[in-house]
Amino acid sequence: MENDSLDKAFHALADPTRRAVIGRLMQGPAAVSQLAGPFGIGLPAFLKHLRVLEESGWIRSEKRGRVRTCHVRPERLLAAERWLTQQRAIWEACTDRLADYVETHLAPEDPA
Amino acid sequence: MNALQAELAISRLIKAPPAAVWRAWAEREHFERWWIPHPIECRAVKLDLRPGGGFETHMREDGGEWRPHVEGCFLAVEPEERLVFTTMLSEGWRPSEPWLALTAVITLAAEDGGTRYSARVMHKTPEDARKHDEMGFEEGWGTAIGQLGEVARILASARAP
Repeated sequence: MENDSLDKAFHALADPTRRAVIGRLMQGPAAVSQLAGPFGIGLPAFLKHLRVLEESGWIRSEKRGRVRTCHVRPERLLAAERWLTQQRAIWEACTDRLADYVETHLAPEDPA
Repeated sequence: MNALQAELAISRLIKAPPAAVWRAWAEREHFERWWIPHPIECRAVKLDLRPGGGFETHMREDGGEWRPHVEGCFLAVEPEERLVFTTMLSEGWRPSEPWLALTAVITLAAEDGGTRYSARVMHKTPEDARKHDEMGFEEGWGTAIGQLGEVARILASARAP
């Protein structure tokens, strides 16, 4: 279940527009019209990107009157980051073992 | 580290020349000594260092049964300089369905009388992360909790064009 949703979350990030939207929202919530401004793409296409982000858990939005405001969801960022941190720890440990092994068993004798 | 692209990069200065580091990768009896953490035993079933060559390791604990660990295929092999493998393909570039989809680019460069060893690891998706855990790769799992700040920094630099 959780793996499924992480999969979806990373897929959502394959697109540079969507990554930029999250980047913008990290600085604070923004209205859809405000968000769409810098991208120079049609609103329908932009709304499709927002829907992907919302469905994959990266953002949430709320409508007040005629304005829809988007917020980033930090728990999603944490889940993605935590997974990668775990992968990183595995590679760090593996590389440490390689370095130790080579230095102990394969390095030429120190002339000193 | 870039969480948005599920990519990580690490680097070490190893106090031995590139030729020695290469042997630790290329020669089975050396490779098996560091690839998997003790006390888990490692067996390099395939370590065929050429493009399209198979890369397959098995592991076992407490003298139990050998179980699959990594299965992949080498993509690029430049002795003492660069090694690229992926788990998305098996021996002979045959497509596969790995439990953890990644491509790793390992580079070696002479530096200060030693070797600058770098690994860049690109992941497809984080699916099956839990399976990874079950397979005994427990070092690091659950111990390091990511910092939101790092992601925030990356995201902040990913502005609209």
